[in-house]
Amino acid sequence: MNPAPPSPAPPAPTAGRLIDPAVLMGIRHLELRARVVVEGFWSGLHRSPYHGFSVEFTEYRAYTPGDDLRYLDWRVLARSDRYYVKRFEDETNLRCHLLVDQSRSMAFGSRPYTKADYAATLAASLAWFLHLQGDAVGLLTFHETVGEYLPPRHRPGHLRRLLFLLDRPAAGRGTDLTAPLTRAAELLRKRGLVVLISDFLAPLDRLQAALLELAAGGHEIVLFQILDPAERTFDFRHPAVFEDLESGRTLQLDPAPARADYQRRLAAHDAALRELCRRLGLGFTRLETHQPLELALLEFLRRRTERGRRLLRVARPAARGPSPNR
Amino acid sequence: MNFLAPWFWWGALAVAGPLIFHLVRRTTRERVPFSSLLFLRPAPPRLTRRNRLEHLLLLALRCLVLVLLAAGFARPFLHALFPALAPEGPARRTVLLVDTSASMRRGDLWSRALARADARLRRAGPADQVAVLTFDRTVTPRVTFEQWNAAPVNERAALARAQLAAVQPGWAATHLDAALIRAAELAAEPGPTATELAREVVVLSDLQAGSRIAALQGHEWPREVTFHFEPLPPPPTSNAALHWLPESDETATPAEAPAAVRLRVVNAPDATREQFRVGWAAADPADFAAPPLEVYVPPGQSRVVTLKPPSPVPAGAVRLTGDEEPFDNLVFVAPPQPLPLYVLYFGRDTAGDPRSARFFLERAFPPTRHREVRVLAPDPAAPSPAAEIEAAALAVVTVPLNPALGAALRPLLARGRAVLFVPPDAAAAASLAELVPGAHLAAEERQPADYALLAELDFRHPLLAPFADPRFSDFSKIRFWRHRRLDLSGCPEARVLARFDSGDPALVDLPAGRGRVLVWAAGWQPAESQLALATKFVPLLHSVLDLSAGPPPATVQFSVGDPLPLPELPAAARAAATLRGPDGATTPLPAGATQFERTDAPGLYELVAGETVWRRAVNLAPGESRLEPLAVEELERLGVPLAAAAPPPTLAAARQQRLLAAELENRQKLWRWCLLAALGLVALETFLAGRAARRHAMLQPASS
Repeated sequence: MNPAPPSPAPPAPTAGRLIDPAVLMGIRHLELRARVVVEGFWSGLHRSPYHGFSVEFTEYRAYTPGDDLRYLDWRVLARSDRYYVKRFEDETNLRCHLLVDQSRSMAFGSRPYTKADYAATLAASLAWFLHLQGDAVGLLTFHETVGEYLPPRHRPGHLRRLLFLLDRPAAGRGTDLTAPLTRAAELLRKRGLVVLISDFLAPLDRLQAALLELAAGGHEIVLFQILDPAERTFDFRHPAVFEDLESGRTLQLDPAPARADYQRRLAAHDAALRELCRRLGLGFTRLETHQPLELALLEFLRRRTERGRRLLRVARPAARGPSPNR
Repeated sequence: MNFLAPWFWWGALAVAGPLIFHLVRRTTRERVPFSSLLFLRPAPPRLTRRNRLEHLLLLALRCLVLVLLAAGFARPFLHALFPALAPEGPARRTVLLVDTSASMRRGDLWSRALARADARLRRAGPADQVAVLTFDRTVTPRVTFEQWNAAPVNERAALARAQLAAVQPGWAATHLDAALIRAAELAAEPGPTATELAREVVVLSDLQAGSRIAALQGHEWPREVTFHFEPLPPPPTSNAALHWLPESDETATPAEAPAAVRLRVVNAPDATREQFRVGWAAADPADFAAPPLEVYVPPGQSRVVTLKPPSPVPAGAVRLTGDEEPFDNLVFVAPPQPLPLYVLYFGRDTAGDPRSARFFLERAFPPTRHREVRVLAPDPAAPSPAAEIEAAALAVVTVPLNPALGAALRPLLARGRAVLFVPPDAAAAASLAELVPGAHLAAEERQPADYALLAELDFRHPLLAPFADPRFSDFSKIRFWRHRRLDLSGCPEARVLARFDSGDPALVDLPAGRGRVLVWAAGWQPAESQLALATKFVPLLHSVLDLSAGPPPATVQFSVGDPLPLPELPAAARAAATLRGPDGATTPLPAGATQFERTDAPGLYELVAGETVWRRAVNLAPGESRLEPLAVEELERLGVPLAAAAPPPTLAAARQQRLLAAELENRQKLWRWCLLAALGLVALETFLAGRAARRHAMLQPASS
């Protein structure tokens, strides 16, 4: 019998352990913020019998002489009298690219912190987390063009440099996802995990072209859409002149009558974006800046786990090939 | 209802403020930055209920407050019948003073003055009285009140105009004070009619800073007389003045004539020019007789320059060029020439005898620049011809008077001159009666044991007044060996000026008609006293001479209008003498005149008596060159009440009406009610607005 790999679904952190982003953003240092998030999350994971997905079993392959006997699956051998060697994810030497949007639209925030702060903290937390796992993490910031690019490494001091680049104030103005993502596709030669953090408030056709180009590189792509709660609810009260942070265009608006139309159009954009992700097989997570960052990590981990299972399912028939039952 | 200040109704336009605020207060210009306008479609704020006029009551109250405030400021008053306008004021008694001083010669000042005077004269009503006076250093009536009143009403102005048209500005100084005092007295005189008169003095003048106003200090301006000044502002010009600085050293002898002439160039404070040329004037008005001096004088400063005379006789005219006003650019220079004075000595002394009184008398009068004293010694037994007596300034008699001598000297006394009588002995004293009839002067010879001293001197007498200073009043070193003891009981009018230490009179002043006889009780020759050798002798004799002939002229330079002193001349010489003015016209000397008064133009005045020519320089008064305007406030400071310029009749009527309206408004004070109502409305508005705000605040949380 082919042993079913254990289900590594991480436990949902309870609300009491989550850190309020308003409190978290009160910490000035980005590195400290990331550490707080990751360590809190890490301590939550330690209660689980699983030690993270990096030790996750991913596939079996037939034992060939010379393989390390430590990885021989004795249970399979006992059950099926076949020699299989377990392969683990951490052996795959994951390369993760964090693509962080630093355009002016990310500078919006109805809270004491902006979407850009939230995105930077999220990226820093992911980087920290992955670094702890021993993965190589790289960074590419962009606005209308590519800003900073740091190739994935796992070296001492690399994480610190990455955090430093994340902490730099955004200098960009508009969001043109096409050009920077095309450029990123050129830069990211080796396949790996691409985490794209942006508000995705851009025309969908452009977004689609850019994501297609990136996905064509064979990367596993996870999208984190960062939105401010006010962007969703549009709960402005008084008529005012609304100014586009990116283009500087102004619009005199009475929010009350415009709200429904706005929410409808935003929802349509959101649905179209999700549909696009589904079609392209991209992971999509929407985060609002009032939500705890641990949720993002949890979601990230969940998706990784799901993917691991999926891979496992894909790999299982292959594994059955040399199965003793065959 | 009328309003005193209706233009304040413009303030009522402020009601537009609340209207606009009520309309636009919801239209915000607030800018909200937003991440992206991608999903927003233009939705301009619609005119909702909140944007329309709301709180109509509050709006009305606010508008009403503003209207009431505007009404209050407009000073409303209820129209009432104005009292009939006061009739035109009483008849006026006007003295028109027109300046004819030298400074009025500038530009078109005089024609403008005539035009102003004409306008004044035209305004005179039939009941008005006008006198026209012109003034420079003297005041000249041109039309008196009597002439004005006597003339037909329609010819009065023409008469005054004609009189003024015949006048031209002269060269004299501006004595504004004397003119004002005279005009004020004239205006204050009671008129021929008993009707009440508005009295005024109107001055038409350029009122330059050189005008003399000092005498107004002690004058009390008549209360009923108002003063109107019609200024004639001259065009701004740059003027510089030239003054001659004659030598003032009186002790210098005529031989020490100055080799050069000193001149002072004064530039006006507001002058725009600084470079001038000074030189001896040639016949051509624009040319110099010799190369002129270049003089640089900054505005408001003065420089003294020395000019060498072109001829041995340094008399002539010096010209200044470089400024814009030519009327004061010529100054006349004449060095001082001594006036001859004759002292007659009647005595038996021989000339050159150092023991005689005559010896010392002849040496007591050295010639000076101003005076040349000649001592003549005719024979006392045969008195000198009348011509000598007529020209004599003083007579000294040291012999007993005989009837012939007395008769000869009496005309001298009649001319106010003095006779110094020194009786040689006691018997001679009685002969005074030959000169002064009725004077019985008894005397007896007195020889003190050692000597007599002067003990008691009357320094209040003009003769001894120069010695009154303690530095000069010590006569105690003069010893008298012998003297006459005068008995003045027969001369009650005699005044003892000095006494010996024995109490006997030493010097007696005896009036005789216009003149006087000074009796000395002792001679000054060494046989009788040490007086001739004392330092007091020469000043004492000069004092006697000054007492008799008057002091020497203090100045050698005269202003236009100053009288020129004439030298004492024998009758024959006087009859032949002529006086030549600057225009070349010669006039004979008036008989008996001691001075020439018609110096009405600047220039050199020459007295020609035979071969002798006396020159006197008459120049423009220095004050006339100070052309900057005099502040009228100076006159007010001196007590001349300056009246405001009379407005035209229409304006006066309008002012009157306005005054009445102001009075009416002041009585009614309706603005207070407006203000009170406005305050009440403000209180009501505050209450209503507060209530509305509270209600709104209560509704707001519920809606949010």
